[in-house]
Amino acid sequence: MRNAECGIAPRPAALTEGDEKVVMLSIKKSDLQIIVEHCNAGFPNEACGILAGRDGRVEKVYCMTNARPGPDYYEMDPEEQFRVMKDMRQEGLVMAGMFHSHPTGQAYPSSVDVEKAYWPGTELPNYPDAVYVIVSLTDRANPVVKGYSIDEGTVREVSLSVI
Amino acid sequence: MAIKVRIPTPLQKLTNGKAEVECSAKNVLELVDALEKDYPGMKERLSDGGKIRRFINIYVNEEDIRFANKEETVLKDGDSVSIVPAIAGGC
Repeated sequence: MRNAECGIAPRPAALTEGDEKVVMLSIKKSDLQIIVEHCNAGFPNEACGILAGRDGRVEKVYCMTNARPGPDYYEMDPEEQFRVMKDMRQEGLVMAGMFHSHPTGQAYPSSVDVEKAYWPGTELPNYPDAVYVIVSLTDRANPVVKGYSIDEGTVREVSLSVI
Repeated sequence: MAIKVRIPTPLQKLTNGKAEVECSAKNVLELVDALEKDYPGMKERLSDGGKIRRFINIYVNEEDIRFANKEETVLKDGDSVSIVPAIAGGC
């Protein structure tokens, strides 16, 4: 289903289960619940957060403030982001991923998501090893959570392993 | 003692892979020029028309320069500057 209002990033032609889902992110069920609850709490606006971890495993979820809240936009509070990144460094964690909600859109990166994943005016990924987790709240009783890598102009689905 | 500048991953190609560099400057605009001198290409990445690009956050000793004096924010030896890309998006 294509979202009529949001620009959906072009899907790679070869996106299949077999040859594209090579990256995996492991996340605890309880952390997944924290993510979904934060997204639901932010509804009808987008909500966001940072997933800290190591070796492809989420160790800590930071629920962040959307500094420019809207139903179709998020921007992490810059000072909060700085504090969290410092906290992660001190704990020996890296940015395993980040999450945000699509209150009325599907769980797939929009063209704005892809554009903002790169350094302005370039195709250099800002956080090359991070998995972009998107929570679709189109059906709030059954949120859809999916992960993606965004690199070299290509969006690839990443397997989320709930442990 | 110089100013320490933390370089984000997408700009480390310009600094030969270094995640932290040192330079001297009296304010943020001078810092951009100093970085450009040592690492050509940096100015265009960081600024546009003398202003720091939107979606690029710069912190001086943990304070976002937007809440200080923006590009005129004063720097002194021993300061620590971090360049951090914003995390944003939207449906």
